[in-house]
Amino acid sequence: MIELRDITKTYKKNGEMEVRVLQGVSLDIKKGEFVAIMAPSGMGKTTLMNILGCLDRPSSGTYKLEGVEVEKLNDDQLSLIRNEKIGFVFQTFNLLPRASALENVELPMIYSPRSGDLSKKAMEALKAVGLGDRIHYKPSELSGGQQQRVAIARALVNNPSIILADEPTGNLDTASSEEIMTIFKSLHQEDRTLILVTHEADIAQRAKRLIQMKDGKVVQDKKIG
Amino acid sequence: MKTERTIKESLKGLGRNKTRTFLMMLGIIIGIATLTIIVSAILGAKSKVMEKVAKFGFDEIAIFAGAGRVQGVPQDTFTITLRTEDGEAILAEVKNVKGLAPSFQAQGIPIKSANGNTDSTVFAVTPSWAEVWDTPAVAGEFITDEDLTSLARVAVIGQTVSKELFGGEDPVGKQIHIREVPFIIKGVLQAKGTSPGGQDMDSRTVIPLTTGLKRLFNKDYITQIRVKLRDPGQMTKTVEEIKHLLRERHKLQAGVVDDFTITTPTQVTEVATQVSTALSLFLIVISGISLIVGGIVVGNIMLISVGERKQEIGLRRALGARKKDILTQFLFESVAVTVFGGLVGVLFGLASGKLLSLFTKLSMVVSWEPFVLAFIFSGLVGVLAGISPARRAASLDPVEALRS
Repeated sequence: MIELRDITKTYKKNGEMEVRVLQGVSLDIKKGEFVAIMAPSGMGKTTLMNILGCLDRPSSGTYKLEGVEVEKLNDDQLSLIRNEKIGFVFQTFNLLPRASALENVELPMIYSPRSGDLSKKAMEALKAVGLGDRIHYKPSELSGGQQQRVAIARALVNNPSIILADEPTGNLDTASSEEIMTIFKSLHQEDRTLILVTHEADIAQRAKRLIQMKDGKVVQDKKIG
Repeated sequence: MKTERTIKESLKGLGRNKTRTFLMMLGIIIGIATLTIIVSAILGAKSKVMEKVAKFGFDEIAIFAGAGRVQGVPQDTFTITLRTEDGEAILAEVKNVKGLAPSFQAQGIPIKSANGNTDSTVFAVTPSWAEVWDTPAVAGEFITDEDLTSLARVAVIGQTVSKELFGGEDPVGKQIHIREVPFIIKGVLQAKGTSPGGQDMDSRTVIPLTTGLKRLFNKDYITQIRVKLRDPGQMTKTVEEIKHLLRERHKLQAGVVDDFTITTPTQVTEVATQVSTALSLFLIVISGISLIVGGIVVGNIMLISVGERKQEIGLRRALGARKKDILTQFLFESVAVTVFGGLVGVLFGLASGKLLSLFTKLSMVVSWEPFVLAFIFSGLVGVLAGISPARRAASLDPVEALRS
């Protein structure tokens, strides 16, 4: 499903100094896998996430997503891929603060070429994460764990092929983290592809495959759990 | 379908930040309100002019003695060549003429009775005056042909004159002195009220034309011929015919200017419109400036808003919004703000215009024009003010935007 070959990413800092964040990453991820990518902070995991999520383009190397060569797509086509195939879960939840839970979950469908009843689907997604009774709450009226569950509902609502979670429990307490990981586990049991980026070892241990990165390279790749 | 959803997002976005939305609207509201007041005032002035024209009559033209008669300039300064015979010739030769009334007119003539005195505008006229000027006698009798031939010293007085000279008494049969010349009152004119020019049309005194010219003013010319037409649609053609006839009768060579002036209702309208246009141009500049300022405010707040909402933009991009969708969303926010502001401005303007007309002499007309103008102008301001912030929002790098 995902094929990364010799991906590099170089940033120019202050216009002159080049920083190589990824230095030749090659990865294959199959459908239904639950992968955790572990790396110390600032070691390119978010960059890798952005490339996997088609938000960013590699400086070199190839990325095939379900057989499509991503680097050949234009901006509109990438937007469509993000909309249909990828569900993002962010560390900071990234909910619209003044919109209700329901409106937040509706967001990806606004940009979907498919038609349908937005609020009905959004409601189903919120029920699936156990927030069916909070659909009109604003983010500020929800706990951190509940906010992240809204974000997961938003990631699921367009029924994507891959769910990319960037430090999903980074801003949560232990109990809320547990809630979130339970949801991820059930998503894995539904045969969804999950990619989780984290620097917390105990969170990473919940996945079925652990990839460790250091200095922009994969240093370890093993099955666990 | 998709655009519709994006537009809905714009409106939701505006609703979620009401203070910002209101601040953006304020300038537009003021600009459009000013514009609305101006348009209402212009329309009001126009309808006033039309009222004047209607009073003057759509089927009437007036021939004045002298070239380029200007209000406020004494008529004696012109060479006066208009005669009663000119009127007779017009009536005989120009087919479209239904009737006409030659008259000699003099303002501020002192009139005395046993009880009091007053100043009056004296018209020396023929019997046709009553019909052409639509001012018959309501008591007693109007000037007759016999009065003309006998140079009778008789007068028909207006209601104001009657009131000032005789109070509530019936003046018919009583004697007055016009410029020390004794006259017998034979009738009272129908009340006409105030003229569009603000003159009291009831302070007139009417005497026979011959009496006026020979006994009172010692003149051999007349000052005005008012002409009633059969077919008002032929006005332009008839004016040309009269002009041609008079030039011939006055033996004017080609190249010599007319020694008379013909006024038609259309000309009255044009003059009045020119005046109101000059005035409104000034006001339009003012409202234009306030619209530009309003537009700058909208543009600036939109720009700040794009900066503040980088994360939202990044999120939307991550969730699948194309550059185009972001552009549409922000552009529509700006246009919606200005168009809605424009609508509020029109209503506000109409309301304050009405209020203004209660306290001033300005007449205001409520009409559809301000709505159309407001829609076009505020929409235009919205697009111009919003396009640059919207472009900036659309061109943000999603990764950068998410990180902020």
